[in-house]
Amino acid sequence: MLRVDTYPTHEHNGIKIRRGKALPFGATIVPGGVNFSVFSKHATSCELVLFKKHEKNPFAIIPFPDEFRIGNVFTMMVFDIDYENIEYGYRMDGPYNPREGFWFDKEEILLDPYAKAIGGREVWGKDPDWDDKFQHRSRIIFDDFDWQGDRPLEIDMKDLVIYEAHVRGLTKHPSSEVKYPGTFTAIRDKIPYLKELGINCIELLPVFEFDEFEHSKISKVTGERLMNYWGYSAVGFFAPKAGYAATGKYGMEVDELKNLIKELHKNGIEVILDVVFNHTAEGNEKGPYISYRGIDNKTYYLLTPQGYYYNFSGCGNTLNCNNPIVRNMILDCLRYWAAEYHIDGFRFDLASILSRDQKGAPMVNPPLLEALAHDPVLGKCKLIAEAWDAGGLYQVGSFPAWGRWAEWNGQYRDDIRRFLKGNGDMVGRIIQRVQGSPDLYSDRGPTASINFITCHDGFTLMDLFSYNRKHNDANGENNRDGADENYSWNFGYEGPTDDYGINRERIKQVKNAITILLLSRGIPMILAGDEFGNTQFGNNNAYCQDNEISWLNWELLESNQEIFDYFKKMIEFRKKHPVLRAEQFKTAYNSSGYPEVSWHGQEAWNFDFGASTLTVAVMFAGGAEDYGTEDDQFIYAAINMHWELHGFELPELPEGKDWHVVANTGMIPPEDMWDENNHKKLADQNEVLVTARSIILLTAK
Amino acid sequence: MEIKVNNQDDIKVIKLIGDFDGSSANKVEDNIMPYIENHSRLIFDMGECEYVSSAGLRVLLIIAKKLKSVEGFGVLSNLSEEVQDVMEITGFSHILNSYDTVNEAINYMKKGE
Repeated sequence: MLRVDTYPTHEHNGIKIRRGKALPFGATIVPGGVNFSVFSKHATSCELVLFKKHEKNPFAIIPFPDEFRIGNVFTMMVFDIDYENIEYGYRMDGPYNPREGFWFDKEEILLDPYAKAIGGREVWGKDPDWDDKFQHRSRIIFDDFDWQGDRPLEIDMKDLVIYEAHVRGLTKHPSSEVKYPGTFTAIRDKIPYLKELGINCIELLPVFEFDEFEHSKISKVTGERLMNYWGYSAVGFFAPKAGYAATGKYGMEVDELKNLIKELHKNGIEVILDVVFNHTAEGNEKGPYISYRGIDNKTYYLLTPQGYYYNFSGCGNTLNCNNPIVRNMILDCLRYWAAEYHIDGFRFDLASILSRDQKGAPMVNPPLLEALAHDPVLGKCKLIAEAWDAGGLYQVGSFPAWGRWAEWNGQYRDDIRRFLKGNGDMVGRIIQRVQGSPDLYSDRGPTASINFITCHDGFTLMDLFSYNRKHNDANGENNRDGADENYSWNFGYEGPTDDYGINRERIKQVKNAITILLLSRGIPMILAGDEFGNTQFGNNNAYCQDNEISWLNWELLESNQEIFDYFKKMIEFRKKHPVLRAEQFKTAYNSSGYPEVSWHGQEAWNFDFGASTLTVAVMFAGGAEDYGTEDDQFIYAAINMHWELHGFELPELPEGKDWHVVANTGMIPPEDMWDENNHKKLADQNEVLVTARSIILLTAK
Repeated sequence: MEIKVNNQDDIKVIKLIGDFDGSSANKVEDNIMPYIENHSRLIFDMGECEYVSSAGLRVLLIIAKKLKSVEGFGVLSNLSEEVQDVMEITGFSHILNSYDTVNEAINYMKKGE
């Protein structure tokens, strides 16, 4: 049936148009043409600028007749558009008075804030034409991907094992042996590997379109080009990074990413996106016009009373997240990614900014965070906050949650690192961390805590035990950038060494770390590559390194096979023991007849909670009735971070059960970790000897 | 884009020549749809089609779904490696089976009887 509104009413230089629909915002394919809709509260007029793909000069500039404006929305339907072969932007006229917050410039061609695809950087690292005034070009796509029944997996939060990866870094290194290195599709080639490892959720560093050339320069130290490699700087929030797609040069990045997500889902792996709503790529007063600044600066950004950009993000500007317009844009954006891309969850970079009001002050009940927590479309999405910002707000444990939000637990990272390094004062905190951080999340449960020891930001796990200091010279900032407090230790030599003893110690520490991480209640997150001892050569802030510093070196998988095997078996172990994945902080006696979580010293049942010590043991007792397992499960881990051997007296088991060895990080393979069917019964059921800086993990059979 | 149709017994061999993109998508769809009736069998010869855009792939998908609805059958043949990769990467490869040559496709279709 034909609609009566599918006929043009106006014509502009031969192009047929009519008033469009105000909603949805953006460019939408409708019968007969494309509907354009863009908001600006303060613009006095607006023009639609149409280009043939890649061409510098537009083939049409169509002013929105005032009768096409509805409220603060400019709308227009344009007929007979070859949607696949055009790019579009807007020009807006209005006051220019930065003191008042107005930055209108009618010469600037602006990206549509709702652009679903963006041209201009289709091939990663290809030098842009800097003479082109329109660098980031809105494109039009069809959202009709053939999902074949797929939808988000909705894996229980408690069961997640998250793997944090950079799309390009994961497969760009030649050793990754994929046909299209560094792309979305190459991740598909790694799915069998990810399944073997046992993770069930991949968290991707930012995949919204960004400009890898932002702040790009040649390093004076290495002579290499420094890039905006991590991409924590969105150009547009609705478009995937075209340069991450093997098919980006054909404008098919949308389908490529959707196909990747479909394949991951088919293999039981969820996808979480790292999203950056705290600032945009437009920078401060000296930054370029890309979109928001020229469309409605005062709406999109937090401004000081003098009209300058607040810089709570540390990146030049701050998005005005709790302005109702921007808030709705963020909601629209997340709903779009959840509904159209089947994204399973989001991790919000510097999320505390999302809790600041329009003057920058933190709010008790930030409307944006509340709206996200209760949104119908996002109803089953994981919401994870990086609960701090660069403006000094630190909300780990106190991020407004409405029972929905989880947090990156920065305390977990720091406490575990310090304990592993040999700080016995940490032991009280270790007890909290292993239990899921009840001190931080008492009313929210362990699943509010994303536990991690390493992430993209900082040392890799192997580097944590190979370097005393950061080595960021290649970043070109005289090693001033990056964190100074790493709680790392090199075991006597800075960097790689041939010393067998030192290398053994490092591998052992890696295993100790992953053992504690996977025994802890809360959600474990692993940094991609840590499972085979990947190194960044001591760089703890590789945000600009598009080279072998950041790219995972898969050759290490062969040389460090034992680390991979250990990770894999520990993940398997966690999956088989629901008591480790509890949703409540239960520690009291349960159906097993034992306390669910108990702490022991070198003497069983005797741990001095006030002591400073490097020897501590934990026992988990998973009652079969409580956790639906075949039999009661008992797990005991003797943790000796002291530099000498210690004996640990073992808690007595119920009649008929004996302690069996699962892992001993002090041993070399194959005796470091046994297969499920090969757990050896301990000859001495009363005591285990744990060598220096080692963990022995036992179960009862 | 040029479209040539040859009959091989009751099989239609449709040769697409040129770029199959947004500017030719409607033409292909309009030209092919009339061939789709009950149990019709189509082979697309892509040997001289070097580029299939997202709009082109969508037309193939629509053709495939239409064929399925009338118990027809369609396959692709002679795809360049590039086009084959693009289909595989963007999740369109499941829509129509693909054969190296037109003859292989014909043989397969005839055996399928």
